[in-house]
Amino acid sequence: MTNSSSSASPTPATSSSPSGSDRLGLTLKLLGWAILGLLPLYAWTVSTAPIDSVQGMMQKILYVHPPLAYGAYLGFVATAIAGGLFLWQGREVHDQLAIAGAEVGTLFCTLMLITGPIWARGAWGPGNWWVWDARLTLTLLLWFVYLAYMLLRSFTEGDERAARFSSIYGILGVVLIPLNYWIIDLVGGAMHPDNLEFEEESSSLGVGMGLPFFVGNLTLFFVFIYLLVLRWRVGMLRTEAERAEFDSRRI
Amino acid sequence: MGPVRLRGTSIEKRYGRVAALRGIDFEIAPGEAVALLGANGAGKSSLLKILAGLSKPSHGQFGAFVDGGTPPLDRSSLRAAVGYVGHATLLYGELSARENLDFAARLYGQRANQERIDQVLEDFALANVADRRADTFSRGMAQRLAIARAVIHRPGLLLLDEPFTGLDELSAERLSEQLGRLRSEERDAEANGGTPSLVVVTHDPRRATELADRAILLHHGIIRATPSKQHAEEFTADALRSMLGEFAREASHAA
Amino acid sequence: MNVAWALLWKDLATEWRSRDRIVAMTVFSFLIIVVFQFAWPNMEPEQIAQLAPGILWVTYVFAAVIGLGRTFSTELENDAMTALALAPGNRGWIFLGKATATWVLITAVQAMAGLVFALFFRVDLTIGLSGTATIVALANVAICSVGTLLSAMSVRSRFREVLLPVLLIPTLIPVLAAAVTGTTATVAGEALALTTLQPLIVIGGIYFILCFLLFDFVLDE
Repeated sequence: MTNSSSSASPTPATSSSPSGSDRLGLTLKLLGWAILGLLPLYAWTVSTAPIDSVQGMMQKILYVHPPLAYGAYLGFVATAIAGGLFLWQGREVHDQLAIAGAEVGTLFCTLMLITGPIWARGAWGPGNWWVWDARLTLTLLLWFVYLAYMLLRSFTEGDERAARFSSIYGILGVVLIPLNYWIIDLVGGAMHPDNLEFEEESSSLGVGMGLPFFVGNLTLFFVFIYLLVLRWRVGMLRTEAERAEFDSRRI
Repeated sequence: MGPVRLRGTSIEKRYGRVAALRGIDFEIAPGEAVALLGANGAGKSSLLKILAGLSKPSHGQFGAFVDGGTPPLDRSSLRAAVGYVGHATLLYGELSARENLDFAARLYGQRANQERIDQVLEDFALANVADRRADTFSRGMAQRLAIARAVIHRPGLLLLDEPFTGLDELSAERLSEQLGRLRSEERDAEANGGTPSLVVVTHDPRRATELADRAILLHHGIIRATPSKQHAEEFTADALRSMLGEFAREASHAA
Repeated sequence: MNVAWALLWKDLATEWRSRDRIVAMTVFSFLIIVVFQFAWPNMEPEQIAQLAPGILWVTYVFAAVIGLGRTFSTELENDAMTALALAPGNRGWIFLGKATATWVLITAVQAMAGLVFALFFRVDLTIGLSGTATIVALANVAICSVGTLLSAMSVRSRFREVLLPVLLIPTLIPVLAAAVTGTTATVAGEALALTTLQPLIVIGGIYFILCFLLFDFVLDE
C-alpha cells in the first residue's frame, strides 16, 4: 500500500462530505417526521394499555426499558463496524460514525440502567433497587465497555491515534458482548439462582400489552437512528468548519 | 539491499483539522543525501514517518523503489530497507551491546549473523565493550551503538530523525562525523550495492549542510525551497538560516 | 515467527536482569492476600473454602494488571517501540513474543502467590492441582492476549496507570467468571470437566486471534 494510498478514492474525505452530509440531512428530516408521527401513537397506546394486575403502573416502564436495548447494543455494533472500516480505509467519516455510535449508545445504555432499577424496585419491592438479573448485568458490563471506550478516546493524544486505538477497542468490545452473554448463561445459574431470569419480558405480556410494546420498539429504534445520524452529521460538519478555519489561518 | 529511490506526488497528510502536509512533491535519487529542514510543526516528522513506512499519506502517491524496479515496495519491504537513527537510542539498557545488535538483526528476520555483528562492533569502535550492558555506556558510546543498530541489516535508506537533539556541541560534532563516514565506507557500499540514500530531519542548518547534498525546506506542510550544493551560495548554513527566518516572519505577519 | 522468539528471549533476559516486574507483581499479590486475610479475620474453614477461588482470582487478576502495565515500559525507555514499529513483516509476531513472555512471568507469579495463599488461608490447593493449573494456564492466554494489546495502547496515552485497568478489566469479566467457576469445582475435588474448560478455550482462542490481527494497527503512526 506504499503507493496509491488514495487512487481508489481521488476525492478527499473532506470534499466528499458536503454531499454526504446533505444526504444525511434528508435522512434526518424523514426520520424526524416519522418520529413525530409515532410519538403520539406511542403515548396513546401506553396510556390506554391495561394496568398490570401484579406490578401496577410500574409495569409500564417495560414499554420503555427493553426497547432501549436496541440503541444500547446497536450503538456498539455501529461503533465496531465503523471502527473496522476506519482501520481498513483510514477515512475520517468512519471514525465520526464510530463516535456517534458510542455516544448515542452510551445514552441508551445509561437510560436502560436508570429505568431498570426503577422497574426492579416496583416489581420486587422496596430495597430492591439493584438485582443481578441477566439483562441488567449485561447492560452494566456493556456500559463499562462504553465508558472505557470514551476514556481511551479522550486520553489518547493525536486525533488519528485516538481514532485508531478506539477502533481497536470497539472491535474488542463488540466481541465481548456475546462472550458475556454466553458466560452469564453458562455460570450464572451457579452464581445467583434466585435472581437470574432469562425469559423475555415480552413473552409474559398480557392481553393488550403487545401493541404499545411494539410501537415503543419502533419509536425508540427510530429515535436511535435519528440521534446516530444527527451526531454523525454534526461531527462531520464540525470537522469541515474547523478545517476551513485552520486552512484560512495558516497559509 | 540496494539504495532506495523515493518519490512523492502531491502528498497530503491531514487528520481532523490539522494538516501536517498539504500537497508536496519530491524525488530522492538512490544514494542521495537530503536534509529536511523546518521549524517545529512544519511537517518534517510527518513526512519522515511516511518515508519510513510507518504512516500512509491521506492523499497523493508515495512510492519507494530499489534496483530501478518499477513495482514500489510495499510498506513491510520498505521498513526492511530502512535504517533509523532518532534522538533516543532505541536500545535496551539491560542488554549488552552484542545482544542489542543481535536482537535488532533478528527483528529484520536475519538469523544472528555473528560475523556481521563483529564487523559492525569493530567499525564503531565497540569491540572491546561488546559484552557490557548498554546502560553502563557513556552518551557517545550509546550513540555509536545506536548507529550500529541502525545499519546492522545493511539498509538502503538511512533516516535520521533529529539525531542531534539534546547533544552538546562536541558530541554533536562527533556524531556528525560518524554519520558522514557511514556513507563513505567503500566496503559497505560494495556489499550493499551502492551508497544508501539518506534523509536527515533537523532544524539545524549547519548540520544539514554537513550531512546532505541538498535540502527540502518545509513550512506549514508545504515545500518552500529546495536549495542544493550545485548552487553553493544558497546551500550554506547562513543562507538556509535566513530562508527559515523569512518563513517565520511571513507567518507572524499573516497571523 | 523468529521475531516472536527474539522478543520472548529479549523480554525474559531483560526481566531476569532487572527483575522489576516479577518483584512488583509478587509483592503486590502477597499484599492482596494479606489484605483479604484482614478483611475477614475470623473465617470458618467452610467459609474459606467457599470464598477461596474468588479471592485467588481477584489476586491473580490485579497482579496481572500490575505486570501488564509494565509490559511496554522497557520499550518506551529509549523509544525502542519505534524500532519494533519499524521491523518488517507481520507485527502479530511481535505481539506473540511479548504476550508469551508476559504469560511466563504472570504464571510464575501466580504459582508463588498460590503457594502463599494456601499457607495463609490454610487451603489445600493440592486437591485438584492439575485441574486448577490447567485453568490458570488457559485463563492466562486470554489475560495476556488482551493485556498485551491494551497495554501497547495505554502506554502511549495519558493517565496510563488508570487507563489500563479501566480498559482491561471489563474484557476479563467472562474469563474471570469461567475461571472462578472452574476453580471452585477443582478445589472441591471434582474432576476437570470439559464444560469448564470450553469457555476458557473459546475465549482464549478468540482473544488471541483477534489481538494478533489488531496489533498491527497499534504500532502504526
